[in-house]
Amino acid sequence: MIHVENLTKEFKKTIKEPGLKGSIKSFIKPKTEIIKAVDNISFDVPKGEILGFIGPNGAGKSTVIKMLTGILTPTSGTCEINGKIPYKNRKSYVREIGVVFGQRTQLWWDLALRETYAVIKEIYEVDDQSFKKRMDFLNEVLGLEDFITSPVRTLSLGQRMRADIAASLLHSPKVLFLDEPTIGLDVVVKDNIRQAIKSINETEQTTVILTTHDLQDVENLCDRIVMIDKGNKVFDGEIVELKRRYGQSRELKFVPRNIADVEKLNYEKEFGLKGGEIKVENDGHTVSVRFDSDKTAVEKVLGYTLSNLHVKDISVTDADIEEIIKGIYKSGVSPNA
Amino acid sequence: MKILRKIHRMFKLHRIFIKQDLKKLMEYKVDFLTGAIGMLLNQAVNLFFLSVIFSQIPSLNGWKFEEILFIYGFSLLPKAIDHLFFDNLWAIGYFIIRKGDFDRYLTRPVSSLFAVTVEKFQVDAFGELVVGIALLCVSIPKLTLSFSVINILLFIAAVFFATFIYTGVKLITSSIAFWTKRSGSITYMFYMVNDFAKYPTTIYNRFIRGIITYIIPFAFTAFYPASYFIRGGSALFCIGGTVLMATVLMAVGILVWNLGVRAYESAGS
Amino acid sequence: MRRILKIYKPFTHAGLLLAAQYRINFIFFVFGDILRCFITYFLWHAVFTSGSQQTFMGFSEIDMTVYIFITFLTGIVAYSDGAFAVGEEIRDGSIAMRMIKPIRFEFAFLFQELGERTMTAMIVFVPLMAGVELYKFAMTGALCFNIWCFLLYLLSLTLSYLINFYFNVCYGYSAFVLKYLWGSNLLKDCIVGFLSGGVIPLAFLPAGVGFVLNLLPFASLTYTPVMIYLGMYDAPRILMSLGLQVFWLTFFIFLQRIIWNACARRMSVQGG
Repeated sequence: MIHVENLTKEFKKTIKEPGLKGSIKSFIKPKTEIIKAVDNISFDVPKGEILGFIGPNGAGKSTVIKMLTGILTPTSGTCEINGKIPYKNRKSYVREIGVVFGQRTQLWWDLALRETYAVIKEIYEVDDQSFKKRMDFLNEVLGLEDFITSPVRTLSLGQRMRADIAASLLHSPKVLFLDEPTIGLDVVVKDNIRQAIKSINETEQTTVILTTHDLQDVENLCDRIVMIDKGNKVFDGEIVELKRRYGQSRELKFVPRNIADVEKLNYEKEFGLKGGEIKVENDGHTVSVRFDSDKTAVEKVLGYTLSNLHVKDISVTDADIEEIIKGIYKSGVSPNA
Repeated sequence: MKILRKIHRMFKLHRIFIKQDLKKLMEYKVDFLTGAIGMLLNQAVNLFFLSVIFSQIPSLNGWKFEEILFIYGFSLLPKAIDHLFFDNLWAIGYFIIRKGDFDRYLTRPVSSLFAVTVEKFQVDAFGELVVGIALLCVSIPKLTLSFSVINILLFIAAVFFATFIYTGVKLITSSIAFWTKRSGSITYMFYMVNDFAKYPTTIYNRFIRGIITYIIPFAFTAFYPASYFIRGGSALFCIGGTVLMATVLMAVGILVWNLGVRAYESAGS
Repeated sequence: MRRILKIYKPFTHAGLLLAAQYRINFIFFVFGDILRCFITYFLWHAVFTSGSQQTFMGFSEIDMTVYIFITFLTGIVAYSDGAFAVGEEIRDGSIAMRMIKPIRFEFAFLFQELGERTMTAMIVFVPLMAGVELYKFAMTGALCFNIWCFLLYLLSLTLSYLINFYFNVCYGYSAFVLKYLWGSNLLKDCIVGFLSGGVIPLAFLPAGVGFVLNLLPFASLTYTPVMIYLGMYDAPRILMSLGLQVFWLTFFIFLQRIIWNACARRMSVQGG
């Protein structure tokens, strides 16, 4: 469905020197510097997959999306979607895709939402019958009814995002690109939007590519993730794979009946671990123990704890993907580590 | 058949936006009316200036007051039509590209140029249109014009193509923003040359005459075609020149635009 | 006075920097505007060549040309954006924030704009002035730069900027009533342009009309400094005109203060 090979994008940046002299100099002979925003990225996406595209700010996520949607022309490398090259067959290509940029709306600010959809219907040449059917479907999934007669500028952020997603789906695209679709939304709306994306993906087999900073999006939606940093791909695979590769950290949390009993526990000695391989934190009420389940089995840690003291409450949580990614962003991982 | 469908689609989109812009007008009634009065007054002041001049001299370089009024009125028609339909090109150079808002025009299955221009129907232009038509109505009875079918067709063609001289100049200069991010001031500088076209080119020196005839050919938006209708002369030069200049400018404009779209760098990360 | 300068110096500095950042665009805009001067010049040139008289209502061709360009120069240097700035603040409600700051409302605008005007003047003043003087030299063959006229012109120009600023601030308050200022701004600019001699010298108008217009504040905006520069006024007339400028400046300063106090009271009662 989507095939990306050695995709690279360079930007020329003029360096301005301060002062009047500098600006005259840069006016006559501008000094430029080439910045590689995206460096040799390759990946494939099969039909019907939801791919999460993650990375820190300025990693080049949006640049990749903009190349895939035909907005930017790559400096080198190729991308092919549905057999089409975005920036070459732009007009016919964009008929097959839907695009939502969370940070800026594509709707017409002053038009009523209904009018906006009428414009989109005309632009994409959707016939009356399919338009009606489509609107009913989108209404059901995204709940547009409450605000469809209001001008776009009066919509709340959550409403606007739903309206934007509906607008991008009106022509039944085969691929949907979502650039930070949940940015700035509250928890409930975020959840609504995730549900909608999921149900559209399931009912229509729409391939979805999404960038986000919200790892809940990734955990709830994505079959697979591609992580980029400084323009390079640093990870490509399933979330389970990411967890397996970058850490089997588990967290055991418990509230002991008597907090002083914690002194009796010595995990390092019990399991023969070095310092740092197991971390114990005690806030005077709750105790949390972090450990690697590859090295120490969960049931052993649990058993040891329970047999040494009485607890009021206890839980074991899975590796937090946020923690993993934070670690990777910070340390920087070489490709294919 | 396909082209007909395409034109039909364009008209339908135009209708939606025109309807909307007219609605907005009702919202800003007072503002619009004062603005319209301001524009009319502006034209009135210009005409007053001309009348002061003509109160002292019988003719300006051999051109009578009525003739000047006809040229002046003619100049407003293509200007108004361009203003009406292609006003959004200004926004390209002022902020659309700089803010990265151009992205959204590129994700539509229509030409990006059409997507940009269709969005705005600039109602303010009616002021120029009304004054232009009024001036023609006032001046025509005092002139001896021939209303042959050919002349009427030539008139329509001249106004139509002259419009695209305006559009072409705006298109080329605002496309510069694809590389420089901002080009509104450049568009402004070139656009202002249009004022030269309101008067007979014979009053200018050779240098300026050359520029407004061949380089920034605004003389073809008013003086040359208008003088053909008033005094006759070479239709090939006066009207043909308008057609040629409009075609060349639009061709260059579309070329530069398309190159610009390819060089477009968007904004942000 | 020292204290005031110290408080408001950062505003001037910011204005300078803002204008500096924008200077290349500004040059293009000025270029576009100056074209209109050339059109007017050529029109008058045609008038003088097709008419038989050497002078037109007391203006020679050289006078007329200098009038056109110096009027333009005065217009840019004495330009004020006060109406727009105040109007915007009223529209988005940020004017209420002005009340909680320990600085004079209009001074913040004024000092920022002074910075911008300085940059503008640096860019356009010298080349245009030099151009006009060179033209005079080329036409008459003699150096006719009058230092007194020039200095008095600078004084009058400064006054005209200040009048323009306070007039525009007063006008900007109409945003409380009108909400949108786009249309009325257009109307205002057109009327002020005409009444201040931007289209034709006021001397060309019928004597009675000209007399009244000379007394109105608009003549003080551009007409007065330009006529002083041209050397069209004798000493008593100059004194009278400068006096009139001072009068109008005082008038608008007080008017501004009265309106602002009324607005402040209204805002504190109605909450903006």
